[in-house]
Amino acid sequence: MAKYILKRTLHGIISVIIVTGIVMLLVYSMMSRDQIFAGDPLYTKVSTNRKITYKYEMWEQYGYLDYVNYTDWLTELEKNGEIDPEDRKKAVSLGKTPEVDTELVAKYVRQFTEYYKSKGYEVTRLNTVTMGKKTSNGGQAQLFAAKDRPLILRLVDYFKNMFTVDGIHSVEDYEGDRGIEFTLHDPVYGGDTFAPAIMGKGTKHRYLLYFDNEFPFIHQNLLNLNLGLSYSVNRGIDITTTMMKKQGSWVQREVTYPTGLTEMSADNLHSAMYAAGSMETGMNAQRFTDNYTNVLLYRDGMSRMGYSFLIGILATILSYLIGIPIAIWMAQKKDKLVDQIGSVYVVFITAMPSLAYIFIVKAIGNAIGLPTTFVMDKFTWLMLLLPVISLALRPIGSMMRWLRRFMVDQQNADYVKFARSGGLSEGEIFRKHIFKNAVIPIVHDIPGAILFSLVGALITERVYVVPGVGGLLITAIEKYDNGVIIGVTLFYAVLSVVSVILGDVMMSLVDPRINFNSKAR
Amino acid sequence: MDKNIDLSKYNLSDDELFSRVEHDVLESEKITAPRYSYWRSVFRVFFKKKINWIVLGILVLLLGFTYIYPMIVPFDRFANVMDSTAKHLTPSAAFAKYGFSIHYLLGTGPSGEPMFDAIWHGSRISLSLAMVCAAINMIIGVLIGSLWGFSKKMDIIMNEVRNIVSNIPYELLIAVLVLVMSRGFWTMVFALTITGWLGVAYFIRTQVIIIRDREYNMASRCLGTSIFRIATKNILPFMTSVIVTFAALEVPSYIGLEVFLSYIGMGIPELTLGRMISENQSAMLVPGWGFEFWSPVAISAILSIVLFVIGQNLGDASDPRTHI
Repeated sequence: MAKYILKRTLHGIISVIIVTGIVMLLVYSMMSRDQIFAGDPLYTKVSTNRKITYKYEMWEQYGYLDYVNYTDWLTELEKNGEIDPEDRKKAVSLGKTPEVDTELVAKYVRQFTEYYKSKGYEVTRLNTVTMGKKTSNGGQAQLFAAKDRPLILRLVDYFKNMFTVDGIHSVEDYEGDRGIEFTLHDPVYGGDTFAPAIMGKGTKHRYLLYFDNEFPFIHQNLLNLNLGLSYSVNRGIDITTTMMKKQGSWVQREVTYPTGLTEMSADNLHSAMYAAGSMETGMNAQRFTDNYTNVLLYRDGMSRMGYSFLIGILATILSYLIGIPIAIWMAQKKDKLVDQIGSVYVVFITAMPSLAYIFIVKAIGNAIGLPTTFVMDKFTWLMLLLPVISLALRPIGSMMRWLRRFMVDQQNADYVKFARSGGLSEGEIFRKHIFKNAVIPIVHDIPGAILFSLVGALITERVYVVPGVGGLLITAIEKYDNGVIIGVTLFYAVLSVVSVILGDVMMSLVDPRINFNSKAR
Repeated sequence: MDKNIDLSKYNLSDDELFSRVEHDVLESEKITAPRYSYWRSVFRVFFKKKINWIVLGILVLLLGFTYIYPMIVPFDRFANVMDSTAKHLTPSAAFAKYGFSIHYLLGTGPSGEPMFDAIWHGSRISLSLAMVCAAINMIIGVLIGSLWGFSKKMDIIMNEVRNIVSNIPYELLIAVLVLVMSRGFWTMVFALTITGWLGVAYFIRTQVIIIRDREYNMASRCLGTSIFRIATKNILPFMTSVIVTFAALEVPSYIGLEVFLSYIGMGIPELTLGRMISENQSAMLVPGWGFEFWSPVAISAILSIVLFVIGQNLGDASDPRTHI
């Protein structure tokens, strides 16, 4: 079994990598790269030459190409001691056109051009754009080199940077001693409560490991997952954060800051991240003793994924609780009234567009006075009722259809006839013999049903205004947010690979006859 | 037999009498059975059920309205758009305004268009899309699926291909193809079928594998029947019912998919059922505006269900085991 799982996992990893590659090919090569600026407010503000360099900067940030600006190159040279500061200041001011460059500038421009051309870059020079006699806003002369990033490199980088370990050298410009401290009494709780925590200095996160009163009670920031940065959906934020961040309004609680100040605040000090030079700004000086001031806030809602998962898992449980007994009942009363009514339901629910029956459920719910929209601030469990029912209707239908089918097929099997001739009651045969055999294919789907609850349900969430994760991919596609598209696709692909493997494991646990090791399967 | 009996007395002719037949060794090897025509039996079984007549009647009616009605009745969505009194009318209000006519049977929509005309124009495009996609998928899927089932080498390759392609979100494919080509009916067909056939092919492959190694096929192969003959004579008749049943699921599922894609804003620009549902969504809870939202929902649901039921029953009827 272990060997089989390992083999399947390896296959799965390869598939996931290829899928990511294909999706990268689709979004980076086939979609126009100007599309990403469609929802960017900053892009409309910059103009002329600055707009062009801004585009290249953004393209570099979002993985389209490698980009080097002449100015940055000179700064780099100065750092390496290849040019002295005086010369750099002179060399940096490009002429309005190449013809009017000073000799020094021309020399460095030549050097820049030759160096990057030899590395396969395309070097572009933009002349000053003038309005009357003055240089127009953003119209300064520009010189830069750019090279498209090949797909393979992008793919390799993506998977290389996917997991990062937060070490004590993560923050480059950290002042003071780097190191790791371990405490048994987390200062956040006032310093008296027993709460072990590992804290870093020089790490990106202040807390690497800590305990609190929220599930799963022990949390870590040591190993971080980066699925990619969002450009337009949630600018500059990693996708995992977008999906997992708490929503809703702030919740204040008593917080003890590093300076010893205790007050009511929504700051979640466990989430503190390094932000250079932030200690002096605003109220921070009274509260913090170092630059770890970038905190998230305690909120009363759940994360996007949390809401999706809550609804999804409730619907899954409901569908098994209702679907299985009805399917058994239908199989027992084959061709009787119950079976016929059930079959009509199955036909309706499989054939009808999901949008249609979800709207019907909503209209019925509205008529009998159930809440039809999800309001995060006034959360009641009743609000979940209609979304959960809408989500469960189709799984119930397919459970009724398939489990009934499998059970009816088993009814004429030899072992059933044998059991009957042995004098077992019909109920016993159904419960102990037929059900056990018929349920095996159903068991295979359980891990998938649970895992795909994490993905959310697009239509249900839109119809009932649930702030879930279901619409993330569509929103990303609409806004041309490449990072999110790739990250979400990867997430889906991993889920589907894992759920198939877990399904096989579940099946072999339920049915000892199933053995994945034997060659002649 | 006595030749002297007067046959005219019994009102019989000469041919009706028994006569001796020569014993033929070759003829006696032939086995005769009642003439069996596969398709005639399929329809015999299909029409034996009363419900199929009813559902088929509904389908013919729906198809008539979907394909013939729009040809006779021209439809301009924005013909009444300037007339603010023509919008969001209930049927009775529309009858009061225009007098009784079939066009206003379902009231008017948000631009003053007669809803009855609108839903048939919409369903024509939705149903065409669904049928074209299903047809393409079935043809490619069955062809490749049967090869996939027969060839072990192809099985290994295609399984990997399926693992990969099924994980690429089709919404993304649609979005990319819409950008590369242009938004329209055939682009949507292309986007939906470029990966859609894989599901059909995989299903067919599994069925072929199940039937391929059955004992009667083994026996047939042992007797030296060619693969082609096994495929066409032994396997295909079994597959027909499976294929018909699967095709019956395809068309309603594409109607649903079209509704879904329009709802999330990735549909085609024409006025389809899905587009009507998503555009008139806000009318759902407004008193008196219900018709403009519920009529496209109802038509898409009825069309799907009718096609599904017919397909299922045709699938059952095309299973040779039901022909006895």
